Amino acid sequence: MFQNRAEALALALPAAVFATLVFLLPVAILLSEGFRAGGAWTLSAYTHFFSETLNRTVFLRSFRLGLEVTAVSAVIGYAAAFAIVNLPPTGKGRLIGLVTLPLMISPVARTYAWIVILGRTGIVNQGITGLGLSAEPLRLLFTETAVFIGLLQLFLPLMILSLISALENMPRDAIPAARVLGANWFQVFWKVVLPLTREGLVVGGTLVFTGSLTAYITPAVLGGSKVLMLETLMYQQVSVANDFVSASVIAFILIVMSFAANILLKRLATARNRR
Amino acid sequence: MKRILIASVAIAALSPLGAAAAERTLTISVYAFAQDDFKTLVYDPFEAQCGCKLVVETGNSVERLAKMEANKANPVVDLAAVSMADALAASRAGLIDKVDTAKLSNFAKLYDVAKDPNGDGMSVGYTFYATSIAYRSDKMKIDSWADLLKPEYVGHIAFPNVTTNQGPPALYMLGLALGKDTPDLKGSIEALGEKKDDIVTFYEKSSQLVQLMQQEEIWAAPIGRFSWAGFTKLNVPIAWATPKEGQTGGMNVLVLTKGSKNQDLAMQFMDFWLSTEIQTTLAEKLVDSPANSEVKLSEAAANNLTYGEATAKSLKLIPSAIALDNRAGWLKTWNEKVGQ
Repeated sequence: MFQNRAEALALALPAAVFATLVFLLPVAILLSEGFRAGGAWTLSAYTHFFSETLNRTVFLRSFRLGLEVTAVSAVIGYAAAFAIVNLPPTGKGRLIGLVTLPLMISPVARTYAWIVILGRTGIVNQGITGLGLSAEPLRLLFTETAVFIGLLQLFLPLMILSLISALENMPRDAIPAARVLGANWFQVFWKVVLPLTREGLVVGGTLVFTGSLTAYITPAVLGGSKVLMLETLMYQQVSVANDFVSASVIAFILIVMSFAANILLKRLATARNRR
Repeated sequence: MKRILIASVAIAALSPLGAAAAERTLTISVYAFAQDDFKTLVYDPFEAQCGCKLVVETGNSVERLAKMEANKANPVVDLAAVSMADALAASRAGLIDKVDTAKLSNFAKLYDVAKDPNGDGMSVGYTFYATSIAYRSDKMKIDSWADLLKPEYVGHIAFPNVTTNQGPPALYMLGLALGKDTPDLKGSIEALGEKKDDIVTFYEKSSQLVQLMQQEEIWAAPIGRFSWAGFTKLNVPIAWATPKEGQTGGMNVLVLTKGSKNQDLAMQFMDFWLSTEIQTTLAEKLVDSPANSEVKLSEAAANNLTYGEATAKSLKLIPSAIALDNRAGWLKTWNEKVGQ
């Protein structure tokens, strides 16, 4: 398209300079704070961070919840995506619209709705006590379960949409062919559908996992300080304790975990593919 | 043509500078609370009076103090509204100057507790508030701070997080009630830790509580009197407890940045804010309880605020030095016993 590389580079330069100055550089400065103490490079902030039981608990909880939300959204996502892909065009369009709809509503509004739904007088507890499953309303708000439900609802659409596009790109006759050759439904999924849609799963999985890991509003509102996650802990460090070093440590951990999740999921996908 | 264009651009670029030279600017740093009311009741009238421009920076106190510290060599903010303890922190960090109270025409009208809250001459109180327990009077009866931990009540309470302004005072009163009132708050934090699974939540924003009370998620929570008005509008019976250990609370103060080039203007603004007229309008709008003893309030406003010298004197405030020296320790104990 361009006559020489120089022209292309010149065009890219303003954007590159902008991104470097207002994004990469500040992030680098912030992250480097975590590796410096008394003018020297050190890992002491990291060893100190992981030496505190609270921090370890919060780290493991964030990691576990991220995995759980990703796994459950993959299961529900595949089922929903299958159902939607096989619908006639109008029905498909409507359902995709419904799936996308929550993405257009502010996460704050969506999360506050859960406070009403999961509360002692909310619809869930009314159902539970009404059916006689429990005499007393259950404690749902400000628990890990509430955070899990909130995050799942927040990020499930991203998984469904990724899987829909992956399933649509799959050859139409792959499944009938596998069935004709005698595969049961489990084999069809495991040996045909999963390998052919792995990219959608990787994209969806990365979005859901990193999203759950870095979401702030949902854990803050539905979990509060009883269910601290890395992001809520980071907020506490900055705005309460004014401890930017610990916050930078958490930020670095979050970035590393996000990249690691992406690389790991890609590896898993290609490994399955080679077999 | 080109020359004309350049000249006009240059003139356009210079004109704001010209305006700034004629009009002085006062920069204040305040809590991001009721700013619409403050604008109409305080900022706009002051601008009209002084013929100057008021720039308002808002945020929570930690952010604002961090910013003042970062700009220490070349201060941006001229006057700040902070908590008593933060004023002492700013004073220890060398960020603020003594207030020359002789220049404040309204100083003598202040309640004695507000005149020099930290005893170092570096701050003047502009409002104070009581902290007690708002509770459902049809479900429970609160006579002591320790009642919150009664087995029949504890599953229905929200307690302020130690990181909030209400947290330490509430813990201090709970400690008093439990007979374990050491400055490190260990006794009360441990007592809360033992019941942490029962307690509904350790809240960080009092704005959340009205909804939780409405939903019957909670029956009681220690709150600052400034958030009381929201509870009175609920269609359930809510009472303000007067526990036998007393009420606690806090005071917010005004401080002057060291090295500010507008200290004269900042002093004028401080005097304006402390005046009987401004303190009365702020109180009638239920924004801030008055620190000026000449303020006479309507019964409706008085009922919703922390009003009167007797009330001001009776509040059991945590001394700033104790708060400052123990903050890190409180957070550590809290994280060990309650946070996980």
